[in-house]
Formats: sequence, structure tokens, C-alpha cells
Amino acid sequence: MYQAESSGAVVRGGRPAAGARQRGGRVSRNVVVLGSVSLLTDVSSEMVAAILPIYLVFALGATPLQFGIVDGIYQGISALVRLVSGFVADRWRRHKEVAAVGYGLSAACKAGLVAIGGSVAAIGGIMLVDRTGKGIRTAPRDALIALSSATSALASAFGVHRAMDTAGAMLGPLVAFGLLVIAPARFDAIFVVSLCFAVLGLAVLLLFANGRPQRPDAPSPDSPMNSHRQDGTIHQSRAGVAETRPTLREAASLLTEPRFRTLAVAAGVLAIATISDGFVYLGLQRTLGFSLTAFPLLFVGSAAVYMALAIPVGRLADRVGRRLVFVAGYALLLPVYAVLLLPSAGIPGLVLALCALGAYYAATDGVLQAIASAILPDNLRASGLALLVTATSLAKLVSSVAFGLVWTLGGLEVAAAAFTAALAAALIAAAVVLSRSSEIAS
Amino acid sequence: MALTAIAVVCVVAGVGYVTVAALTADGTTTDAQPQVVAGARGAKAVPPGGELLVRAVDYDNPRLNGRLFTIGLTPTEQPRAAREMACERVHENAAGDGLCLAAKPHGFDYQGIVYGPGREPLRRFSLPGVPDRARVSPDGRYGGFTAFLSGHTYSAGVRSFSTHTAIVDMRAGKQLFSLDQLEVTHDGEPFQRADANFWGVAFAGGDRFYATLGSGGHHYLLEGRVSTRRARIVGERVECPSPSPDGRRIAYKRRVGKQDRWRLHVLDLRSGRDLALAEPRSIDDQPEWLDDETIVYSDDRNVYAVPADGSGRPHRLVARASSPAALR
Repeated sequence: MYQAESSGAVVRGGRPAAGARQRGGRVSRNVVVLGSVSLLTDVSSEMVAAILPIYLVFALGATPLQFGIVDGIYQGISALVRLVSGFVADRWRRHKEVAAVGYGLSAACKAGLVAIGGSVAAIGGIMLVDRTGKGIRTAPRDALIALSSATSALASAFGVHRAMDTAGAMLGPLVAFGLLVIAPARFDAIFVVSLCFAVLGLAVLLLFANGRPQRPDAPSPDSPMNSHRQDGTIHQSRAGVAETRPTLREAASLLTEPRFRTLAVAAGVLAIATISDGFVYLGLQRTLGFSLTAFPLLFVGSAAVYMALAIPVGRLADRVGRRLVFVAGYALLLPVYAVLLLPSAGIPGLVLALCALGAYYAATDGVLQAIASAILPDNLRASGLALLVTATSLAKLVSSVAFGLVWTLGGLEVAAAAFTAALAAALIAAAVVLSRSSEIAS
Repeated sequence: MALTAIAVVCVVAGVGYVTVAALTADGTTTDAQPQVVAGARGAKAVPPGGELLVRAVDYDNPRLNGRLFTIGLTPTEQPRAAREMACERVHENAAGDGLCLAAKPHGFDYQGIVYGPGREPLRRFSLPGVPDRARVSPDGRYGGFTAFLSGHTYSAGVRSFSTHTAIVDMRAGKQLFSLDQLEVTHDGEPFQRADANFWGVAFAGGDRFYATLGSGGHHYLLEGRVSTRRARIVGERVECPSPSPDGRRIAYKRRVGKQDRWRLHVLDLRSGRDLALAEPRSIDDQPEWLDDETIVYSDDRNVYAVPADGSGRPHRLVARASSPAALR
């Protein structure tokens, strides 16, 4: 277990921490609070997501086509919203408030399900608002995590948050299933309990999260990319730190900042050579020939590994270098693809693939946010993180379409072999580019 | 302090609501009863002397398991409840061998129930998704079912529905194989498609069966054998095929336009002649032959009969019923 510290002063190895770098292993109380918020909210969302297909089709008699439409809405809304909310949070320095709007919207949606959950159209609308809420909260929340953490402990902080977040995502379906055993076919009970978790999450955020955290290693006036500060109006915040109110042009100019652009390009190139989870699971099923009913177990297996490794891998990244761990995480996909190409791998191959997939998430998801946070200026943190996530999700969408196309035309082996080659090339390119770009400017 | 108050309110409200829900839960089976439509049994389209098996439909909750009822087609007979078996989809052959697809009591997933004469459950097996179609072979050796699967992510973020269709060994009460594993040929050439989906199995004599293969927007009619696990494509634009008792024709649903809309058709296998039945509405069902002249089907609310030669008009036979099976 990690330990939460209550203030910026950390004593480590007998050394007084005042003025010293915060090292991996301890994360601020604010990160744990935000992790708890995510855990509670994910229990709430995932318990609904787990039963939504069966509720729509079983209880409401929706057709598969209607289900497909609702599910499409559920999945695909957040990119644009994320960019807007990231910038709004930076512009008015209201990360906590913007995140609270996002969490609040999702809680309101659970109340909506309780009140008017009886129509397919209404559920479609509610899910649209719910996904909008998710889009709104992600970037400001990640910015708050970064703003609450010493630069040297960023990956540890994101690791703690992602471990708690994943724990919630795994607990949600279990809670939903348990409720259906106790009260058969009473979906309304699931919505009520989901609302309770959402309200608790929102309450923890509003009562305990610090919206104006002061970094344990206090921002230096010569922080990276301070060129963005030259044009902005400088004013004193409550914390007494010089800050600017970023303009839209400054946010857009992030794309021309060399180190951020290098990172975005490297992350995008790696993402474009990545086979999406759905295809990996489907490919494993085809290659190894196990039952389709085991599908949900694949997700649970890799999520459990992700949850277990998120904190230790985050700490490792802070110690040995985040770029190194990030690139090594993508290299872990190579054994996964190898199993897709080897029907003889059998069950040991499947276990290896799921472990590697979970470790890949632990080494890349939060770590990428940590790398970006270290090079982004404080006043554009949320905008930059939102840009990066949107760029990598677009790259992943392109890769999915390409993989599906190659699979259909040439078969699974050809597609897996092509992506293995592409990933190897992308790894070399990313390693070269990232090693030239320094870890932290200070 | 404030958090404690909110937490207490949430826990009390949640636990209280769940407790009440648990005590009042009425489970996954409806008490709805089918009603024979007055006068329908005297109609020209309805042959006397036959007998139908249906499952009851709750109009408010059509996906709840419905109890099974047998309905004599002689005008004076009343529907008879067929023991305490409740299904979402059912089929039974003349010998009384049946396959019932039903939600499990907690409503979270589904099972297949193999039953014998007297509608006594013999074997149960888990279904991987929501029940869609069920069929039993005339000799009672094989069953076939289609279930909708959800949660397969085929591309980032967008999930699509796919179907799982399998042949069941009725004696063992187990899936024998999934139609995914069939060796399919088209004009003698192997036909392999990554996006292939199968649905709507129906049995002809022996171990012969028909089914639908969907791929790339096309819907092919398959004819296969259980013993060899091979099938060939013998037609197109045919979904949910149902061979006639004389084995010469196939009743099926034919997709019209790009939307999910279908018309009922009958295809003559020898001449290739295809005709539309008199039902003007879109019907999403696997039709059933009552005899060589009459087809029965449901719109998920009521059961209808229509002549198999495209003449006449549909007659509503039973209200609050679906999944009709002819007990010849």
C-alpha cells in the first residue's frame, strides 16, 4: 500500500524534505481523494454499463439495432467535450469546479434513470449526457492530480489514481450482479444503488478535494515553456503564485511547442500501431479457440493485472525514467501479438497475453499523462492533457479501422504480422525521438 | 461530518430500496395468458384438427419468460397450460421433444432447457446471450439455437451486436458445435469470411439443416449436415429459413431496403420460384409450417396464420402469444 501524506513536507530516509524533491512512493492526499472519487463514480457507471444491454433488450424489448444506436452514443461522445472543458478549466483556473460539473452530470443521469428509465429513447438521451459528463471531468481531474504532485512523483500519483479507478470499474459489475441475485430482474434497484455511489463520489470531491493545490515542489518562476507566460497578464493567485490566464491561442500554440509536439507524435505513432483490445480478445478467441462465454473474463483478467501493477509501475517510472517505462510498456504488446500468431500457445499463451496487456496499460496510460504533465506549464495543464488524449484516441480509431480491414481482406495472421512489424518500427522511432527530448526541464 | 451525513443517507436509501425490491421482486416469469381469437379457428386459412404450442406474452414486458400453452385448432377447445415451464423462445417436435430458451431466475443471463414428452425438463445448459431462435429436429436428436451476444468490441469504442448459433446434442443437453466452425463452400470453393455471422437454424430430415450466413451485407441460405459439419451456400436474401413438411419449399423472412424490415416469403427449392406471402407488415420471426398449406408466425405479441401460396390474408389466431410450434 502507498501512504498518503497530509502536507508537502515529507521526511524520507531521515532527510528533511523541505526544498528537496519528493520521491516516488508517497502521493498527496488530494490524489487519493480524487482516486476515491473515481472509484465511487466508476462503481456507479460500470454497474449500469454492465446491465445496460440486458436491460434494454430484456426488460424493454429493444431490438439489437436500437441497442447498437444507444451503445454507439454511450461510447463515442467525449473527444470534443474533453478539449473544451480542458481549456475552460485552465482559462478560469477552475479545475475542481469543472470536474464537479462532469461528476454532477453523471450523478444526475443516474437519478434520471431512476425517474424515467422506462423508455429506450430516454435512455439514449441520458447516456448521451452521461458520456458528456465523463468527457468534461477527465482533463481537469488529471490536471488536478498533476498540480497536486511533485514533478518527480507524477507517475506514482497517476498510478495510484488509475489503480483506484480500475478497482471501481471491476467492482461495478460485481455489485450489479449481486443485486440481481438478491432482487431478480429489479433493474430499478440497480439504478438507485448506482445513484447512491455517484452522489457519494460527488460529495467526496466537493468536500475533500483541493481545487487550488500547491505543488509539493512549488513551481519555479523558470518553469518549462514559460514563453507562454510572456504575453499573458500576470496576476497573483490566492496561493501567491504568479499565474496567467491562458488564451485560446496559447492553448493552440502547445501544438508547436517542440517537446510537447514530440511527445504527441511519439504517442500517436505508437497508438496507430496498436491493435485495439476488442480485436486482441477476438483474435485470441479465434487463435486459441476457447468459448465465447469466456469473453468478459478476458477483460477482468487484464484489468486485474492493470490494477495490481499501476502503483508499482508508476513508482518505477519515477525512479528509472518515465519515457523508458512508457516505451517498454508498448514493447510488452509484442508478446501479445506473438500469441495471436501462435495457435500452439494454448492456455499459457493466453495467460501471458493477458498479463502483458495489463502491464502494458499500467506502463502507458497514467505514465503518458505524467510525462506530459512534467513538460506542460501549470496554466495549460488540462488543455494539454486533453489534446494528448484526443490525439491518441484518434490514432487508435485509425488503427482499429485499418486492422479490421486487413483482417477481413487478408486474414488474422496477416493482420497480426503487419501490426507486429508496424509496432516494432514505431517502437524504434519513438525510442529515438523520446531519448533526444529531455525528461524534465529544471 | 457532512460526508458522514450524506453517506448515512445514501446507505440507508440504497439498502432500504434494495430490501423492498428483493421482497417484492416478481421474478422473470409473467402470469399472462394467451387468448384464442374468436372466429379465427373457423377461418379458411386455418386447418382444423391441428395443435399449436405457444408461449404467453406479457404486452407490458414482452421479454419476460412466458408459460407454455397448447392450443387445439378445433373451434371449441380452450388453451391448456402446459405445466410450469416458462420460456422466451420454444420449439417442440411431433414426438414431444422440446428446447426452451429462458432467462434464469435472477434475470442476469439465460439458459437452454431440453425437455421430453410431458414437458419434463431433462437437461439445462448456459446460453451466451439473449435468446432469439430455437428449433428441434424431427427425430429429436438435435436442437439449434441463436442468441444475441453483446459486448464484443470490434472497433475502438463502437460495440456491435453479433449472433451465436449452435447445434445442440439433445441427449447430452450440450452444445455440439457453433456454426462458426462449419466448413462452408460456395460453388465448390471454400467460403471463409472474418465477419461471418450465423443465425436461424432449422432442421430438415435426418441430420440435414438450413441456416442463414450473414457477411458483408449479404444474407446467404446455407444447407448443411450435422455429421460432417459441412455446409454449402444454396441461395441468397434468405433469413431464418424453415423447410416445409414435404421438404420442397422454404419459408423465410426476406430483408427489404436497408433498414431492419422483412417480408415473409416462400421459396420453391426445385423451381426456384419465390413468392411473397399475404402479410403486408414487417415480420421479424422464423416462420413455422402448420401443415403443407399454412404458415404460422408471430409479431412478438400475437400469433398469426397465413396461406403458404401467397393468397388470402393473415388471420390473428392467438393473442398474447409468440414462438408458435406446430405439434403435428
